[in-house]
Amino acid sequence: MAACRIATAILLAAWLCMGPDTNTAEPAKSTVHNVTIDAMKYLPDRLTVHAGDTVVWINKDLFPHTVTEVNGRFDSHEIKPNASWRYVAKKRGEFAYVCTLHPSMKGALLVE
Amino acid sequence: MNKLFALGTALVTSTLCFSAQAAAPDDAQIAAIVVAANQVDINAGQLAKSKAESKDVKAFAERMVTDHTGVNKSAVDLVTRLNVKPEENETSRTLKSNGADTVKKLKALKGKAFDKAYVDNEVTYHQAVLDALDNTLIPNAKNEELKSLLVKVRPAFVAHLEHAKHIQSTLQ
Repeated sequence: MAACRIATAILLAAWLCMGPDTNTAEPAKSTVHNVTIDAMKYLPDRLTVHAGDTVVWINKDLFPHTVTEVNGRFDSHEIKPNASWRYVAKKRGEFAYVCTLHPSMKGALLVE
Repeated sequence: MNKLFALGTALVTSTLCFSAQAAAPDDAQIAAIVVAANQVDINAGQLAKSKAESKDVKAFAERMVTDHTGVNKSAVDLVTRLNVKPEENETSRTLKSNGADTVKKLKALKGKAFDKAYVDNEVTYHQAVLDALDNTLIPNAKNEELKSLLVKVRPAFVAHLEHAKHIQSTLQ
């Protein structure tokens, strides 16, 4: 009988250790996407992500650059060489951006 | 008008000096040319940052100082690491001397005349450097890392040239 009680206790402890019900649907995982800035270009210059994803622009160029959405939705301000800027894309839509320091640099972020 | 004409003449001379290099430069000479070319534009930019009338011209000048300083830092870091001592040569010396003449002539100008002369200079200068990169510097660079650096900075000169031309069109 004592052995039975011990076995029950072990099973109960094991059940408690399993934590929350694993059948519960988890929210979709957000993905991290990288955009490299190099030689006066955004690579890729057009990127499609899902809402909630994170985009990291990494400046591998020799000069500071910005990632500035043309309608002011987001703005990294100056990203120095070898620095990066992280943005969580929450709002859906297509967002064109430029480098305000080098107006010939253009990119687009599509959030689905 | 005479001042502008004189400045233009100096710039044309400066442009020709890039292509008039008789012998193909070696890596040490290329390093000196790169540093001189960037320094010349930094000096003109320093002057224009404080003297330009237009907000766009001032911002452009500030950009030139930052970007060309970035190029020079990378160039100096690389040649130091490669143990290459930049070797002054006819092209680097002429660049410096013409650059000093340009700054002197710009100092004599004011307001819109200054802005126009500075931006015209920037268009000519960046085109000249691009021609030099394509025809002389990149083809003659022996060290792969030096060649890669020149290839990497080329788009910056293209972007600066486009930017300068855009400002030039607004100053007409």
